[in-house]
Amino acid sequence: MGEVLHVRDYRAYFHTRRGIVKAVDGLNFNLSAGETLGIVGESGSGKSVFLLSLLGLLPKPPLRIESGSAQFGGMDLVTASEDTMRSIRGNKIAMIFQEPMTSLNPYLKIGTQLIEPLMIHRNKTKDEAFKIVKGSLLKVGIGDPDRALNAYPHEFSGGMRQRVMIAMALTTHPEILIADEPTTALDVTVQAQILELLKSIQKETGMAVILVTHDLGVVAGVADRCLVMYAGKLFEQGSVDDIFYRSQHPYTHALLKSTPRLDKALAALPSIAGTAPDLSKLGPGCPFDARCEYVKEECRNSFPTAKRTEEHESFCHLEKLP
Amino acid sequence: MSELQPVLTVKDLKVHFKKSPGYFKPVERVKAVDGVSLELRPGETMGLVGESGCGKSSLGRAIIRLIHPTEGTIDIGGTNFLALKGGALRRARPSIQMVFQDPYASLDPRMTIQEVLAEPLNAHLRLSSEEKNRRIQKIISAVGIPKTAVHKYPHEFSGGQRQRIAIARALILEPKVLIADEPVSSLDVSVQAQILNLMKDLQREMNLAMLFISHNLAVVRYISHRLAVMYLGKIVEAGESREIYKNPLHPYTRALISAVPIPDPKLERSRTRIVLTGEIPSPVNPPSGCTFHTRCPYAVEKCRTTPPELLSFNGSPQLVRCPEIGRIPRQ
Repeated sequence: MGEVLHVRDYRAYFHTRRGIVKAVDGLNFNLSAGETLGIVGESGSGKSVFLLSLLGLLPKPPLRIESGSAQFGGMDLVTASEDTMRSIRGNKIAMIFQEPMTSLNPYLKIGTQLIEPLMIHRNKTKDEAFKIVKGSLLKVGIGDPDRALNAYPHEFSGGMRQRVMIAMALTTHPEILIADEPTTALDVTVQAQILELLKSIQKETGMAVILVTHDLGVVAGVADRCLVMYAGKLFEQGSVDDIFYRSQHPYTHALLKSTPRLDKALAALPSIAGTAPDLSKLGPGCPFDARCEYVKEECRNSFPTAKRTEEHESFCHLEKLP
Repeated sequence: MSELQPVLTVKDLKVHFKKSPGYFKPVERVKAVDGVSLELRPGETMGLVGESGCGKSSLGRAIIRLIHPTEGTIDIGGTNFLALKGGALRRARPSIQMVFQDPYASLDPRMTIQEVLAEPLNAHLRLSSEEKNRRIQKIISAVGIPKTAVHKYPHEFSGGQRQRIAIARALILEPKVLIADEPVSSLDVSVQAQILNLMKDLQREMNLAMLFISHNLAVVRYISHRLAVMYLGKIVEAGESREIYKNPLHPYTRALISAVPIPDPKLERSRTRIVLTGEIPSPVNPPSGCTFHTRCPYAVEKCRTTPPELLSFNGSPQLVRCPEIGRIPRQ
C-alpha cells in the first residue's frame, strides 16, 4: 500500500522564558494507507504536541519547528502556508480528541457542527451536506440521525459524543485520521464499541489511523505498528509484535512489565523508579538515563543512534537487552 | 483470613440523591447506591469495580460519611458508625480514612507537607510537638518521600509523589480501614506501579482493611484479594478475586472483563469480545427487574420483571445476582 505520511527528523521546541522545552526531539516514521500506527508514551512524552503541531494547531511562538519535514500528498506540512493547512485540516487529515465534550460546541446543534466541514471543504449546500451527514451518523451507529442532528451535545453521553466526533471526521473521507486518546475518557465497554467502530470504518475506507494512547492494551488490540516516545524522543518503533515480544529498549521493556495484566495474577509488579525528567533541563544524553537499570557512562553523554533490524528500530546504547 | 472478625460491615446501604428536574416537576430520586452489603477483614483488600455512574464512589464516600446514606448500617470495629454524632463521631473517624483520585485537588496548595500531615494529628490526637514530628517523619519515610521535603509545598512534587503524600495523610492516624477511590487513575503507568506496590506493602505492614475502588480491572486484579462488581447501584457479583477473574459468572462481569484490552497483540487478535450494546442506563429510572436486562445478551422475559437476588453460586463463596447463570453458555 502507498505511503501517505513521511516524517523525518521532526523537532518542535517551545521557547519559554524559563528556557527551551524540547517537546518533540527527532521523530522519524512512515505511515501507509490502511495502517494503524499507535503512538505510546506517558504524559509529557511529546505525543500530543507532535500531532497538534503537525496540523498547525499550536501557536507559534512559543512553539517553533526547529527542523524536519512531514511529507503528505506531495507537500511538506512543516513549510505549508496557513491557507494550505486550513484546506488539509478536517479534510484530508481529520482529528478526534480525548474529550468529546470539549471538542463539540455546546451552543450549536450537532447537525450545524457536522455539516461545517462539508460546506467549507467540499462547497456543498446545506441540504446536500445534511444528506451526507445522515449517512455518516448511521455509519457510526447512531440509529436515529434526524433526532441526533437536532440535539445539542449535552443531550448525548460520552460514547455517543465520540461517535458524533468520528462521524464529523469521516464526512470528508480523510486519508489520515488522527485519534488522540479517543477512548481514555470512556468506560471499557464503550471503549470496546468505539475501537471496533474505528476498525470497521478503517477496513471499509482504507484510511490510515494514528492512534495516540497511554494504554498499551489498546495499542496491542488495534495497532499494526507502534512508536514508543519518552521525553520528546523516539525510543523504539516497529510492528506491534516487535514492540511487545522483541522489545530492544529498556524503557519499553520496563513499561510492559510495570503494566498490571488482566489475564495474569501477578505476584509482583516491577515498577520504574523515579519520575519523568523536566523537559527544559535535558542534557545531551538519553532522557531515561536516571531511571534506567542498564545505564552506562555514554548514556549520559550522547543520545544513541538507531539500531535497525528491518522495520524494527531502537535507540539505546545497549548492544542487546539482557 | 476468613476466621478474623470483619472490621467493617456494611449492610443494605442505600444512597439516594434527590434531584429536582424543574420547579413544577416532581422530585426525582437518583438511586446511586441501592442496597449494598459487604464485609472487610483486617489485612484484606476488596476491589470495587464498575463503570462510571455505577455508584462505586458514592458507596465509598457514604461508608466514610462524606455523604449521608439514606438507609442501612455501617459497623466499624463493633461500633455503629452511622449512629455516632459530635465528639463520639470525631473520636471514631481516625479508624477509617480515605485516599482520593486526584492528588492535585486533594492537597491544599497553601499548606506545606508538614502542615498537611500535622492536620489530622491536631484534629484527633493531643500530642507533644516532638511526638508529632516523630510520627510525621515516620510516615513520610514509609511512603518514600525524603524527610527533608516536609517544608515544601504540593506544587513542588510530581503527581506520584503527591499521591504518596495523600497516602501518608490517610495513614498517619493508623486507621483500621482505608478507602481508596481510584488512587492511581490519574498517574502514568510507570508511576502507577510504584504507588500500587507502596499501598500493597503498607497494607501488609499495618494490617489494613482496604476498599480499593477503581474502573481499571487489571489494576484491581493485582491489588485485591476479594472483588465486588457494581452495576447501577447494586453489587452483581462478589467473591474471591482469583475466582472471579478465572471464572466470571454474571454476564456483566464477563462483558466487562472481555472488554479490557490486554497488552499482548497475539492474545488480542485471538480474543472474542463480548461487545455490549448501549450504555449504562440512568440511575434515576433504572430498568425494571434485573437492571442489566437492557444490555444483557441473554435476557429473557423473567429478567424484565423480577429483580434477582445476590446469591451464592452452587454453594461456593462466589455470589452472583443472576438466576439464569445455568442457562448461559460458558466461554
